[in-house]
Amino acid sequence: MNTSILSELKKQAQQAWPELDLLIGWETGYDTLHTTPVFIKDSSEIQRLVWNPFCAQNLAGYLVKSPIVPRGEGSKKIGICVKGCDSRSVVALIQEKLVARDMLFIFGIPCRGVIDLRKLIPNQTGAKILSVRLTDDQVEVEHSKGLQHLAFADVLMRKCKRCRYPDPVIHDVLLGESVLPRIESHELYQDVAAIERLSLQERLAFWQTELDRCLRCYACRNACPLCVCQDRCIAETRDPKWLTQYMNLPEKFMFHFIHALHLAGRCTECGECERVCPMEIPVSLIKEELNKITKELLDFEAGLDLEGVPPLLTFSPAETGI
Amino acid sequence: MGNAIRYIALDKLTRVLGRLSEILDVWVPTASEEKKRLVRFMPYQAGMIPELVEQSTLGPKGALLPQVESLFRFIYEKDPDDASHKRVELEDPVAPKPTLIFGVRPCDARGFLLFDRVFSAGPHIDGLYGARRDLTLLATLVCLEEDAACFCSSVGGGPADRQGSDLWITPIGDGYVVEALNDRALHVMDLLEEPANELQTAAATKVQQEAAERRVGNLICDQSRSNFLQRFDDLNYWQQMAGQCLSCGICTFVCPTCYCFSITDELKGMRGERIRSWDSCMFYTYTLEASGHNPRPTRLERYRNRIGHKFSYIPEKYEGIIGCCGCGRCIRSCPVSIDIRKVVENLEEKAHACA
Repeated sequence: MNTSILSELKKQAQQAWPELDLLIGWETGYDTLHTTPVFIKDSSEIQRLVWNPFCAQNLAGYLVKSPIVPRGEGSKKIGICVKGCDSRSVVALIQEKLVARDMLFIFGIPCRGVIDLRKLIPNQTGAKILSVRLTDDQVEVEHSKGLQHLAFADVLMRKCKRCRYPDPVIHDVLLGESVLPRIESHELYQDVAAIERLSLQERLAFWQTELDRCLRCYACRNACPLCVCQDRCIAETRDPKWLTQYMNLPEKFMFHFIHALHLAGRCTECGECERVCPMEIPVSLIKEELNKITKELLDFEAGLDLEGVPPLLTFSPAETGI
Repeated sequence: MGNAIRYIALDKLTRVLGRLSEILDVWVPTASEEKKRLVRFMPYQAGMIPELVEQSTLGPKGALLPQVESLFRFIYEKDPDDASHKRVELEDPVAPKPTLIFGVRPCDARGFLLFDRVFSAGPHIDGLYGARRDLTLLATLVCLEEDAACFCSSVGGGPADRQGSDLWITPIGDGYVVEALNDRALHVMDLLEEPANELQTAAATKVQQEAAERRVGNLICDQSRSNFLQRFDDLNYWQQMAGQCLSCGICTFVCPTCYCFSITDELKGMRGERIRSWDSCMFYTYTLEASGHNPRPTRLERYRNRIGHKFSYIPEKYEGIIGCCGCGRCIRSCPVSIDIRKVVENLEEKAHACA
């Protein structure tokens, strides 16, 4: 199935090429379990593209943050490959007028979920993955300590297990068949609901333990397609000085609050912040909580409707929701 | 008996670490949280389970170059006789203690060799690092298995490379055979359970020989110094190699050889501290000048610097040594899977084309 989607993707990319300046997609990384973003500048390079459940990266951020992706200039379009979640980030960027819809050519791929590599082998066994075989709902992992059969659904990223929009919400071409959401809409915020059920002390202890590991490497921020302040982020500026260079808990909390609050009602829940964290901190949960509140209070979900205005980007004295 | 080869059975390991921690600060790699793959070096405490099978996610550098350390504290005091003057008093930081880092890999030890060259081999000696290093022993594990990101043999090391280590630990299935590699390590040998018997010593020798025969990685970087300089201005190359870089600090923070730091004064009222903290050349602020000018304005120049520093400037400055220990952590942890080996390997193509 992935193979036919890939050949269709290559075919469509070839067809669209006269319209394109650049195409952003995925190619095979340093081994078959890792993909890496690729920037295709010549149609002869289209064959480098891959599509499989290891295509984890959300490429939308490159539209606004990459020094090699042209913005606004040029008469041709930027092509971009998106999964369902990634497509919502593209919509959010268009809503905020950070990219223009007519400058994009979107290759949408309905997505059955991407694999969390950390779930492929048991922890702390020293096992090294030798090969992985995928069937529709099974993953066969051959590793240095043996062979393991896992259910596809069990090794997905947390964000994929709670995905409501596996089909891209915006696209110029759609590759492959529609995929059904894995959960009902009322189940969307089960993970944060579980945290909410903890007592205040337990909740504080949970976040203290988790955030204490933060290195402030800023990978969560830099991987976020909607964190667009980049080099002007107040987490790093010395003037104004919101944070010191200390590595204590209050500084780490403060950084994550800054990140989360600037994403309230904007976060499209692509899960990149959580995926990239080398310390395995479930940082998406903070944004999910804010999104849950936004949904309850203002009935707004980020990155779905091109005409929608994110609540924090508007001001109405007559606001009735609050 | 101090220098005899010792044997620690698996189930005696924590007892040994407990004994060692009575006379030294002991650091061990540990998986501190359940259900996570993360392994990092932490100060040993009773009850902690060392994780010696998996390579640690972060290198052990924090034990010798803490992510944040105090250079000195300062207190301003108003001069009672002259309101326009303030007096400042300085306080020294806490003195370092004797330390043992248990369970580093040969690649990690190689990282410290580079730190030594930079911080304590002169002509300029970093007093804080030097003092800490003098009191630190590295107990290194023979490395039994590599993964797809490892390339230690390509940068001068190897799975059985003893250079830089003080104690040499060989896993032999049911336990560890430990030998002292120099006089500095002799005083802890008596704390390491029983002397190893002949069978155990023979098993260890076999494991060491097998490890020594493995060549990990096939990168060739003896020409990287000049190749890099030829590629320096080839912006197209850096676009191709690092166009996907997110400019986050993961690669530099997990790296055992990245040592760049920032120095800041953190002041609260009349009291403050001058601290040194890990910096990352991937960050915009790293080379941001007071004028507002930044000589490395985009992530491409910043990524280029990381390669240049490790594979060109350091070999240039320090007798040809490569500023990378081949541990593969930057490859494994990179959110967009940038492969530093590929970047260094491809530096060469143009050099050939020109010749």
